[in-house]
Amino acid sequence: MLFWILAALLTLAAALAVMRPFATRKASPAGGADHDIEVYRDQLDELGRDVERGLIASAEAEQARAEIGRRILKVSEIAEQQQAGDTNPNAVRLIAAIAILAVPLVSWGLYIATGSPGMPSQPLQARLEQAPSNTSIDDLIARAEAHLADNPQDVRGWQVLVPIYMRLGRFADAETALRNIVRLSGESAELQGALGEMIVGRAQGVVTAEAEAAFKSALALDPGDPKARFFVALARAQEGRLPEAHAAWRDLAADLPDGSPWREAASQALAGSENAAAQANAEAAPGPSDEDVAAAADMTPDDRRAMIAGMVAQLDEKLRENPTDADGWRRLIRSYMVLRQSDDARSALERAVAALGAGSPQSQELEAFAASLGIAVE
Amino acid sequence: MTRKQKRLAIIAGALGFLGAAAALTLYALGQQTSYFYMPGDLEERPVASGQRIRLGGLVEKGSIAHGDDTQVRFAVTDGDHSVKVTYAGILPDLFREEQGVVTEGAFGADQVFVADTVLAKHDENYMPKEVADSLKEKGVWNEN
Amino acid sequence: MSIELGHFALVLAFALALVQASVPIIGGQLKNEALMRIGEPAAITGFALVALSFVALTMAYVQSDFSVLNVWENSHSAKPLLFKITGTWGNHEGSMLLWVLILFFFGALVAVFGRNLPLSLRANVLGIQGAIGSAFVLFILATSNPFARLDPAPMQGRDLNPILQDIGLAVHPPMLYLGYVGFSVAFSFAIAALIEGRIDAAWARWVRPWTLAAWLFLTGGIAMGSYWAYYELGWGGFWFWDPVENASLLPWLAGTALLHSALVMEKRSALKIWTVLLAILTFSLSLLGTFLVRSGVLTSVHAFATDPTRGVFILAILMVFIGGSLALFAWRAATLSAGGLFQPVSREGALVLNNLLLTTATATVLIGTLYPLLIEAVTGDKISVGPPFFNLTFGPLFLPLLAIVPFGPLLAWKRGDLAAVAQRLFAAFGIALAAALLIYLVVDRTSVLAALGIGLGVWLVMGALTDLVLKSGLGKVAAPVVLRRLTGLPRSVFGTALAHAGLGLTTIGIVAVTTLETERIVAMQPGDSVELHGYVLRFDNLRPFTGPNYTEDQGNFALSRKTGADLGEIMSSKRFYPARQMPTTEAGIRTLGLSQLYVSLGEKTPSGALIVRVWWKPMVTLIWLGALVMMAGGAVSLLDRRLRVGAPMPRKKPAALPQGGSA
Repeated sequence: MLFWILAALLTLAAALAVMRPFATRKASPAGGADHDIEVYRDQLDELGRDVERGLIASAEAEQARAEIGRRILKVSEIAEQQQAGDTNPNAVRLIAAIAILAVPLVSWGLYIATGSPGMPSQPLQARLEQAPSNTSIDDLIARAEAHLADNPQDVRGWQVLVPIYMRLGRFADAETALRNIVRLSGESAELQGALGEMIVGRAQGVVTAEAEAAFKSALALDPGDPKARFFVALARAQEGRLPEAHAAWRDLAADLPDGSPWREAASQALAGSENAAAQANAEAAPGPSDEDVAAAADMTPDDRRAMIAGMVAQLDEKLRENPTDADGWRRLIRSYMVLRQSDDARSALERAVAALGAGSPQSQELEAFAASLGIAVE
Repeated sequence: MTRKQKRLAIIAGALGFLGAAAALTLYALGQQTSYFYMPGDLEERPVASGQRIRLGGLVEKGSIAHGDDTQVRFAVTDGDHSVKVTYAGILPDLFREEQGVVTEGAFGADQVFVADTVLAKHDENYMPKEVADSLKEKGVWNEN
Repeated sequence: MSIELGHFALVLAFALALVQASVPIIGGQLKNEALMRIGEPAAITGFALVALSFVALTMAYVQSDFSVLNVWENSHSAKPLLFKITGTWGNHEGSMLLWVLILFFFGALVAVFGRNLPLSLRANVLGIQGAIGSAFVLFILATSNPFARLDPAPMQGRDLNPILQDIGLAVHPPMLYLGYVGFSVAFSFAIAALIEGRIDAAWARWVRPWTLAAWLFLTGGIAMGSYWAYYELGWGGFWFWDPVENASLLPWLAGTALLHSALVMEKRSALKIWTVLLAILTFSLSLLGTFLVRSGVLTSVHAFATDPTRGVFILAILMVFIGGSLALFAWRAATLSAGGLFQPVSREGALVLNNLLLTTATATVLIGTLYPLLIEAVTGDKISVGPPFFNLTFGPLFLPLLAIVPFGPLLAWKRGDLAAVAQRLFAAFGIALAAALLIYLVVDRTSVLAALGIGLGVWLVMGALTDLVLKSGLGKVAAPVVLRRLTGLPRSVFGTALAHAGLGLTTIGIVAVTTLETERIVAMQPGDSVELHGYVLRFDNLRPFTGPNYTEDQGNFALSRKTGADLGEIMSSKRFYPARQMPTTEAGIRTLGLSQLYVSLGEKTPSGALIVRVWWKPMVTLIWLGALVMMAGGAVSLLDRRLRVGAPMPRKKPAALPQGGSA
């Protein structure tokens, strides 16, 4: 309601402003030419000062004076022709009435069409001061952000925010927060682990080389750090180096006491991965598994070469028929690398990228995987 | 000279001056403008090596390679075709993979585009207009 | 509620502007005094309402009220208070409101300080201001309403574009708009004169302070924008011939021509038609600039996020005002009487030459800016017109203009003596020549251009000084007389000298930095040094740092002279703003005398070295110092008492008048 009263007052003030010239009877102003003559008189004065200062010769000054004189004459003539005529007072009144009415009509009409009169202002501070019970998680975050903007040295604040950001998928904010914690409390295995986890989250679950680097530096600071060990093993599994991954998970599970969340996670991951591997083998593995390649290492060089070459050829053929099988490509690239045929590995990668579509998430994953083996796309 | 002749001379002088300025402008427009190409346009309208053009498109994913000196190599793509570009110097802040970019320079003898200027957008709402228009035609890029 | 009240105030201002646009002009036609007087209260009240509306929006920014769409899009609660305030005009909607606020501000100024104008002229001027005002307020309300609301309101905003979070950009737009929009007053005066069909020397006197003020602010706005681009974009350029920069240069060039032609009109009643046309063109170019920046038809780093409906709307405004005013001009120009005669060699002649060169230069810049649009419309080809075009066309036009500037103020009105003036300028010429030789022999023997260009700048400065020396009679009369003469000189004489000297300083700066600049791009490991122009820059380390709403890598460098003298640290950094996922470069700049050392960081190379770009920019600060001196010249001229000739006393017989007016 207060809004409408104020709006009405503003409108009234505006309408009064328009009415003022009709309300006040001013003394008649100077005639039309007086303002011009004022200027020309000033020019004459200035001319006088110039002559006095010797900036202008007297003959030229005389000419200039005559010129200004002619202007004064001319403007007086025009002014006489332009004497104010008598206007019909009714027409004037009509125009004035329309003008004064236009102010409220146009403004209220337009405002009602475009404004949101019922909506109050919502300054952030006032919203943050509301009772926390009826606020959402967004409000709480905003509160924390506002607090940290004023107190960026508050480690606790950043620590509270990191997991929340992670859960909401705001990885960039999580990264900022983490870097702030690193800045304030120094490096630690835990922080590096969290950083790695953040990168994994950003990469939608893929343990990228960048993430692995973070976990490795966590392990450098604390060789027993379970989170880092878990993710490094996961990285091996994602690369298809299952035996290494399984061994790492087994070790992790053995090292940790009962009830530790990471022991749980490691056991689950191990079981899941072994099941998947077993199923894949049961379906007549379409290419050399890591075990096969490892087994081949025990044969004579010729046998080994023949076996692997046969398997690789088989896989290669299968991938020509079904080029969208990303796991197959992964195995093929890996096999070529084991055989130290890096050129073939590279061409396999190029074919894979072409088949999966350059820039698609699958080919990106594959490229990251290949890069971890030391192959880069040209 | 009479007053009339003088006036004529002045008007002639002013016109001559304006004519010279117009001629200079036309000459400069002919010589100093560079045409804008997307990688795909180069097949339809080949460009001689050494001719100055603007090449625009998206920075191809995974194509950025920094040399150990200040050389940078990357590829500009419009989704179908891509062109290799080399550039020596500091890239603009917002030069990133899969973002719009306009480079200015000329092709060298080996069909690699040697850029002396690289322009990227200056905030996330802005895409070089030529690039945006061309990409929209191809349906590669949309406003959001 | 304050937001809605601000919105309402804006709508009310629109209604009032409609009245202001119509009633005073009708009153002028009917010769009715009361109707004509409506313009003044309407203009003042309108300004108060727009100011109220602007304050409401600023409050919303300060309080981070994300229920306002515009605030949510362009602000963030963690932003420092200063950038919350300046963020108000860091976006299209808010800056448009600022534009309109300044337009109404000038209208109110005319209403308050325009008492020395004849009533009918004042009424028509305010009427035209009202018409422009109503058109632009309608544009805001219809296509770019900053008071649009969001319900429910988000808890966090999307932050202001980081490159705009800078003090330079905080001051630059208001200055630039004061210039752009200030020319609306000259435009309104021109249209008002055409409506009345009467225009003479007095008109030029009345319009002069408004043109001067607009010119002064535009000069400052352009200089500040140039300095911002110099240090914030991280590549050390000060002018890119970017379409948006051109859009601000065009009205500056035309406005400078207008200032000079209005002088002829005021003194000699000549060039009347031309001056009126220039006044129309100058503001038309301002409007064109607004259109180009906001419609998205041109590609530019400064362009706002674009929207086609806005473009069409502004184009319509443009057509109505430019087309309408030119039509009125064509209809009325023939009835305006010709003015005084003069010889080609005279002050008038020099000013005509100035106008010829300035307007031709304006035309080439305009052509270069619009040519790509034209070609695209006609053939569909996309082309760009870059710096080489402008250097080739603008240069040959501007250099002769600079060369003749010192002659102008020394020539007599009506009939000048060129030989005598040349003789008086002999000393200035000698000094300029000596400076050029010095540069050539001592600084750089490879660049004749540098020597000639710097010589030209010195010539301008010395020419300006010569004018003051001659007018004061220094060396010819006794010292006390000199002092008396100097103090007695009209302020505008000092203004002219300052403005011309400032132009010279800017010329020196531009020439020096473009011809003598040296640059090194090196890959540096911590501990590496690079040598440039007698200075040694050592890269110490790269440290991470976290600011309120960004993180950055700070590169720390130690600067010393080759001789070993330590000159302290330089810090250059790359920042990252997470809210917009956007990096920026913060260049490290050290001013050494008039020159600067400029350090900018690039990427890391695979081997872990950091690419660093270092420039030695000789005398670069003169570019902007010169602009400041030009502005000072404008300010001094503005204080000239002749511009404050008072209003005649009502009904007082024109008798002996007090010296110099009453204001």
